[in-house]
Amino acid sequence: MRERFISGFDYFVLPFMIGMIFVILWCIIGLIKIIVQLERADRIKLYKSLVNPVIIAKNFRDLFYDSLLHVKLWKRNKVLGYMHSSIAFGWFMLIVIGHIETFLYIPERGGLFYYPIFFRYFMAVESTTLKGSLLFFLMDFFLLVVLSGIILAIIKRFRSKLMGMRRTTKLTLLDRVGLYSLWAIFPLRLIAEGFTAGVGGGSFLTVPVNWLFASILSKPENFTIAWWAYSIALGTFMMVLPFTRYMHIPAEILLIPLKNAGLRVRRPRKGYALAELYTCPSCGVCLDACPMSVDKAGLKNTTVYYIRQLKRRNQPRALAIADKCLMCGKCSVLCPINISAIDLRLALRKQQPYNIKQDFSYLDKLPNGALTSAISVGGEKVLYYAGCMSSLTPTISQSVQKVLTNADIDFTLMDSQGTVCCGRPLLLSGRTEEAKKLIEKNTRIIKESGVPILLVSCAICYRIFKEDYNLEGVQVMHYTEYFEQLAAEGVIKLRKRELRYVYHDPCELGRGCGIYDAPRNALSRVAELVPATKERKESICCGGSLGSLTLTHEERGRITENSIRNLTANSPDRIVTACPLCMKTFSKQSDIKVVDFAQVIAESLIEEEE
Amino acid sequence: MKRNVLIIGGGPAGIEASRKIRDFGHTPILIEKESHLGGHLAKWHKLFPDGESTEELLNSLTSDMDGIKWFTDTDIVSINKLKHLYVAICSNGISIQADALLFTTGFSLFPAEKKEEYGYGIYNHVITNADLEDFFNTGEDPRIKDPKVIGFVHCVGSRDEKAGNRQCSKVCCATAIKQACEMKELYPDATVYCFYMDLRMFGRKYEDLYLNAQRKYGILFVRGRVSEVSENIEGRLVVKAEDTLIGKPIRVTMDLLVLMAGMSPNDENREIASMTGVHLGEDGFFMPRDMLFRTTESHSKGIFFAGAATGPKTIPETLNEARAAAMAIDHYFKQEV
Repeated sequence: MRERFISGFDYFVLPFMIGMIFVILWCIIGLIKIIVQLERADRIKLYKSLVNPVIIAKNFRDLFYDSLLHVKLWKRNKVLGYMHSSIAFGWFMLIVIGHIETFLYIPERGGLFYYPIFFRYFMAVESTTLKGSLLFFLMDFFLLVVLSGIILAIIKRFRSKLMGMRRTTKLTLLDRVGLYSLWAIFPLRLIAEGFTAGVGGGSFLTVPVNWLFASILSKPENFTIAWWAYSIALGTFMMVLPFTRYMHIPAEILLIPLKNAGLRVRRPRKGYALAELYTCPSCGVCLDACPMSVDKAGLKNTTVYYIRQLKRRNQPRALAIADKCLMCGKCSVLCPINISAIDLRLALRKQQPYNIKQDFSYLDKLPNGALTSAISVGGEKVLYYAGCMSSLTPTISQSVQKVLTNADIDFTLMDSQGTVCCGRPLLLSGRTEEAKKLIEKNTRIIKESGVPILLVSCAICYRIFKEDYNLEGVQVMHYTEYFEQLAAEGVIKLRKRELRYVYHDPCELGRGCGIYDAPRNALSRVAELVPATKERKESICCGGSLGSLTLTHEERGRITENSIRNLTANSPDRIVTACPLCMKTFSKQSDIKVVDFAQVIAESLIEEEE
Repeated sequence: MKRNVLIIGGGPAGIEASRKIRDFGHTPILIEKESHLGGHLAKWHKLFPDGESTEELLNSLTSDMDGIKWFTDTDIVSINKLKHLYVAICSNGISIQADALLFTTGFSLFPAEKKEEYGYGIYNHVITNADLEDFFNTGEDPRIKDPKVIGFVHCVGSRDEKAGNRQCSKVCCATAIKQACEMKELYPDATVYCFYMDLRMFGRKYEDLYLNAQRKYGILFVRGRVSEVSENIEGRLVVKAEDTLIGKPIRVTMDLLVLMAGMSPNDENREIASMTGVHLGEDGFFMPRDMLFRTTESHSKGIFFAGAATGPKTIPETLNEARAAAMAIDHYFKQEV
């Protein structure tokens, strides 16, 4: 191998170099900006994580699995997984092997950015060695891998349904420029390397291309133009990269260590949030995921467009979307980078001025023990908090009490004489300070009761008790978990009936707290459980969610209708849910009877005769 | 030439319209799905504003039914249009050819159990306005046991988007006050509360009824919706509400709670609309041709409306509309000739 040009330079590398330097500078500035914007505590957390060997290992593992191989995407959709990993991993390998070649054969040029990229142009083959052939073979092989991915990407753009996506995002103008230059890069590379293969060498892909050119062109050595085109495509791609969705490629490399350091969204477009905004690849998985997309007009309220508005600093639009969201969390779960869709919206809600002076003086007037002292059955083993929603659906609280009585559990009603709200509705509307007051009061009531188990029959309350309360020494249990435990231990005996039930996963309980199996196991004891079309983490919000601040009744109604359709695909006799709000919402519109989990268990109890 | 008019619904609107159509010289055929004529009216005891007995009103309505063919326990199975004629097939097997149709299908009482937070069907002492009228008629209801504290909840399933009914049911305010006074007469020692959003005492003498309720009967009016009801250990009702005039939450322990269930559109309306092409409003009630001038005509030729089929109405409004519909039908026939 020898260098073809003493200068080791040609003007065609300039477009690439300009693009490359621009993108690197842009990323460095962005990185500094994000780190500066982090809160002090977060920054220290980040620095500490960078010297923690466990987190370092996790960072590398995540980078390899997520950024290069796209393992999560593979699990969800094999074709999309292949498309992404072929381009990402293939491209990465082309760069790595290009560098290996450079350092092996001409180490003194190793410091030049462009050399490994245009290696075949600058080098000429003198003799064939096994090592050289292997490297050339690998280069051609990975080029083929990338090209196959590009072909899939082109098919996807025009026929997204073939890839299992019903809808795909509307691209911006710059996104299109980026997209077309990305599509052009690798075919152009093939042509450029094909021209040079006679001089610079090649393998199974580039050599036949070279023969082809030689047979149809009179002067195949005029190949510089092809290298120019390749370099311009690369340069264009990198020049527009920061302003397109392809920014997710460098941004994800930054996001992974930030996420692994345990950082969370605090402000809607600063610090960690900024890293997330740039990591959104605009893939549009959230379009199909979002319950609001039953209406075509609802599509504009999905996470991908929310992020776009945030990036554009379009405050009124962003706020409108943030307020509309049901906060069901389905987009986050299905998102390939698990973007914090709820936190990003909450952060914006929190920034809004709150002009209502709420009067919390009643909290001080309530003595801490008084709420619980009214009804007390025997000793106190379980403290049952029905919450506001279960108070509005007395069937649920009555059923829970019936099961507890049947099981001979000593229980105390925490809120029979007046409920102090759990705080979740305030928290979801961004009113953290107000929510704190309620949390403090409830914490005091619970702690002073001295009861080891707090039983909750509302999925919404359950989530805040789990996430935002500090209830050390008290086990918080959702009634689905508790009743399943009672049934498994034989404390309650249940009768199985000839009925087909479908179970609806409430957002706050399923995606929110990860409880999917306990209710299903318990329900299987009393009836046949039939599946819904989409369930568990893909369950569709009932439409009643208190997460949304601005959805109209009509819009909610259509979401509910769609959710019911999803549940009744296998014609069950009843819809069972474990959240009073879901039950209320469904009952209004469902032709099939909707019942609460507690009601089902209470009805199936076998009364022991003494 | 004698024309047939099929009147669907044998409540006050249907009865009165039938009589007037007959008086115009046409042949009314009246269909009622229940086993007796009179609709909701037949289940009531007394009427506002003066407390006239429903029985008397119904007697005078049905005293002169000569020349009217009427069928009870009869439902419409299908309606088809043949050029200028409607052919209706009924559940009792007969088919009726009619030159015009009049829908006097009325309303359905809002199912109070849908507002689960009020505990109808769950707690022992929660009843509806209809249950109370039944109690006035029969003197029997196991849920009413010498109550000391009684509450009336206005707007149950009215003006409530969450319950799927945005409209005001129009008659409940006056009915609630009438019933509150009646209860006070039955149980003079009882304390009676009315929980209201607004009091819509729009008709002549209704305001007097309201003033009387305060002055003569000492009924306590609380502006604010009841938020939830629960049962305490003695089985009494604990009613939570907000008094929005003083801006404070209140809690009252009661022995009886009466829910003023509002007027909902009939479930069958949708099917009727698809069979006949008449228009249905967003609220589920039938849509007349316009809301001012031709309130008894539909968008389909030869089909007319009267009464609560086109939205909540009081008895005198319903009766007047029945007469107006009869005139509109007669006018329609004369134009046809």
